[in-house]
Amino acid sequence: MARVTDERTYYTIPIGPTHPSLKEPLQFAFDLEGERVVDVEIKPGWNHRGVEVLGMKRNPLQTLYLAERICGICSVSHLIAFSRAVENALGIPVPPRAEYIRVIIAELERIHSHILWAGVAAHELGFDTLLHLTWRVREQVMDILELLTGNRVNYALVTIGGVRRDITKEQEPLVRQALRYYKDLLEMLVDAFLHDPTIELRTRDVGVLSYKDALELMAVGPTARASGVKKDIRVDQPYLAYPALELSPITPDLFRPEIHGDVYDKIIVRLLEIEQAIGLIEQALAKMPEGEIGHATKEEMTELLVQIKEREGEGIGRHEAPRGELFHYIRFQADSEIPILWKVKCPTYSNLMSYRPMFQGAQIADIPIIIACIDPCIACMDRVIVRRDGREEVWTAEQLLAKSWEKTRRLKG
Amino acid sequence: MVQLFWGSVVILFGGVILGLIYQGVDRKLAARMQARIGPPIVQPFRDIKKLLVKENIVPENAIPWIYNGAPFLALAAVVTVLFYLPLGDQRPLFSGYGDLILVLYLLALPAVALAIGGFASGSPYAVIGAQREIVMMMSYELPLAAAIVALAWRLDRALPGITAFSLKEIAAHPIWAYLGPLGFIGAILLVGVLLLVMPAELSKIPFDIAEAETELAGGVTVEYSGRNLALLRIADAVKTVVMGALILALFFPYRLGGVLGLAGAAGGVVDTVFFLVKLFLIILIAVTIVRVAAARLKVSQVAYSFWVPLTGVALAGLVLIVLDGLFFM
Amino acid sequence: MILAQIIEQLFKKPATNKFPAKYMPKSIISFLKSGKPIVPPVPTPPRFRGKLIYHRDKCVGCEQCGRVCPANVIQFVPQEKKVRFYLARCTFCGQCTDICPADAIEMSNEFLLADYNKYSKNLVLE
Repeated sequence: MARVTDERTYYTIPIGPTHPSLKEPLQFAFDLEGERVVDVEIKPGWNHRGVEVLGMKRNPLQTLYLAERICGICSVSHLIAFSRAVENALGIPVPPRAEYIRVIIAELERIHSHILWAGVAAHELGFDTLLHLTWRVREQVMDILELLTGNRVNYALVTIGGVRRDITKEQEPLVRQALRYYKDLLEMLVDAFLHDPTIELRTRDVGVLSYKDALELMAVGPTARASGVKKDIRVDQPYLAYPALELSPITPDLFRPEIHGDVYDKIIVRLLEIEQAIGLIEQALAKMPEGEIGHATKEEMTELLVQIKEREGEGIGRHEAPRGELFHYIRFQADSEIPILWKVKCPTYSNLMSYRPMFQGAQIADIPIIIACIDPCIACMDRVIVRRDGREEVWTAEQLLAKSWEKTRRLKG
Repeated sequence: MVQLFWGSVVILFGGVILGLIYQGVDRKLAARMQARIGPPIVQPFRDIKKLLVKENIVPENAIPWIYNGAPFLALAAVVTVLFYLPLGDQRPLFSGYGDLILVLYLLALPAVALAIGGFASGSPYAVIGAQREIVMMMSYELPLAAAIVALAWRLDRALPGITAFSLKEIAAHPIWAYLGPLGFIGAILLVGVLLLVMPAELSKIPFDIAEAETELAGGVTVEYSGRNLALLRIADAVKTVVMGALILALFFPYRLGGVLGLAGAAGGVVDTVFFLVKLFLIILIAVTIVRVAAARLKVSQVAYSFWVPLTGVALAGLVLIVLDGLFFM
Repeated sequence: MILAQIIEQLFKKPATNKFPAKYMPKSIISFLKSGKPIVPPVPTPPRFRGKLIYHRDKCVGCEQCGRVCPANVIQFVPQEKKVRFYLARCTFCGQCTDICPADAIEMSNEFLLADYNKYSKNLVLE
């Protein structure tokens, strides 16, 4: 296990692909000097499911439900990004009420995702009481989502050109009631997480991602915002009903004077985003116009399939998922309802690179919480490692760039 | 001699059963505090039963005799401590001139055994866990020793002529009666120190860094399975009783039987029940509530908090008791 | 402070729904077969997307459902011009109920569908 470099002995300790601190398979190899982490090597590729290929064998109406199963926690984010990609590619309009409903569901999902993350983070710190507490209070928003969409996890609510279910007059008070519940609860959560002495000891100045690193390594979502980078697709490139709503990127300086970019800041950002999501849902409920929800009737749905088959085009869909910017690309050819290309880039893929500066100089005890602090979703982001003749090829950035130029030239013909 | 034999058999099995019951209660209460139902109270017994019938795996690059010997050493050490502690209405089984010092060393032995077993198991996780175990041990020994020495010295000062390091004598003469105001504050500080040393000694959250499930996947015990793991679990359970009973013997050796004017068998039963209740309260305060209400600390933080603030408090308690002994006689 | 929460919770009922029994029975299957009363699951809201209901008489055999099903649950039986559902694969998206022109497919609120055999009677709808 020992490795001698520069006259120093480092020990390499493997973490993953299965390890209690990992919720999904990912492999790390840590070079250690005593309890201190010197460097880390990250090896993804244990959980690739080939979802994109499956999507290239089905029509978009079928792929919707495949797309939302890319991730169990940000499932509606994938649905929104995917259907926006298809709508952009084929020029399908979305009625305003549907856009508001999409916003409401997306923000409800943000609440449940961030609460879930808070529980996981507490568990990584060995604070199981907070795990049980947060996951218990999360049930309320899960129940609301079940009420609005018909299922707890895979909502199947968004469809191409709209949403499949309206929020009725009877449901609105229940949603508002749940929002009030979380408003009251938030104070307790902030108290339990941000004012707890042991959590402060474990998270302050741990896993620091500087502003510069966050910019250079292209971190997205709460990971970037915790370092002070004001980056939020909902603000930068407004879509859905977000332009009509009041919203600004959450950075930790709203809570404490300085931005450190540590794990504590990431907790701050996520807890404040719960508050922000509650506000957004309230605004959306108040401003939501009456009218169509864009759900095709039985005849229209057949018509929609015909349209998908006839038209051609390519489109992208972006959405600020709870973990950061989510990106879907889709391309259709004429005379085929099946896309010839579908590409998904998950927030974790962008955030993965920020692990390295965060780990350098950390202790072994910090490893679980640093792994958890970007809220990784490995199954979403996993890529294949090609093995030829039993050896792995790792391509450098320059080689990848050359490959992509080559491909662009080939596509241009 | 025969009496000694049967006494030790009763204490051995009684201690193990008591330890496992308290572990079950601890798990149940912790679960209820987290709004869970929790396992039935007999669950630790089922766990042990299952582990005992499981295969005992020795890793390829382990040193088998050390690896297999460590759990026995750990269990033997804690059970031996049990013989020196006053339990229930009973006087300790063994008693001598300096058994408090012996107890101090025997209490360190399970941790050493665990660390040796960890080093011998040849897993990088276990090696890191073992290093942490040693650091932990070095951290909490000084406050523990300070508390015990202060107590024994003060008792010797108050009652010259008794063997002050004998637990029997300490339990027979509750310290609080001999203390002046300064000493009283000092003794309260020392109780606080011992209550914080207890979860560290037992490797419970926030001090479970040697096992640290999410970091080291079990740390020192990661490679242990089957019978060896069962022995380690039993040692852990007995250690809970030992630490609780030690704190009780040092600071709260009161009995109810005498107060109620009961004698003989009735007094014995009342005393035993009272002892069990006291033990339960100590475990509830020092183990269950602490482990439910805190996050795991880092090894550097544990070392710091034991070496600087806690040792400071323990020494302050010691100095206060010394001053008390010198000026309030 | 979390401490107050913990002590308060100690005297409250646990949040767990004791489904199907408080503690794991020795054998779940024999427990369920014995007909002893089980603790019911958490109730589902209206319009829950559960197990499919197939109204065979209404079905016109247009095959639209098979075209949109993401999981290939639906098999067309040409001799009878009807469909067959293999529910073990169903993802409960409800797309087939949306597109069915004859309203022959519905969703119930039943969701306890676990089975050892994916072709069991309960999981193949005809």
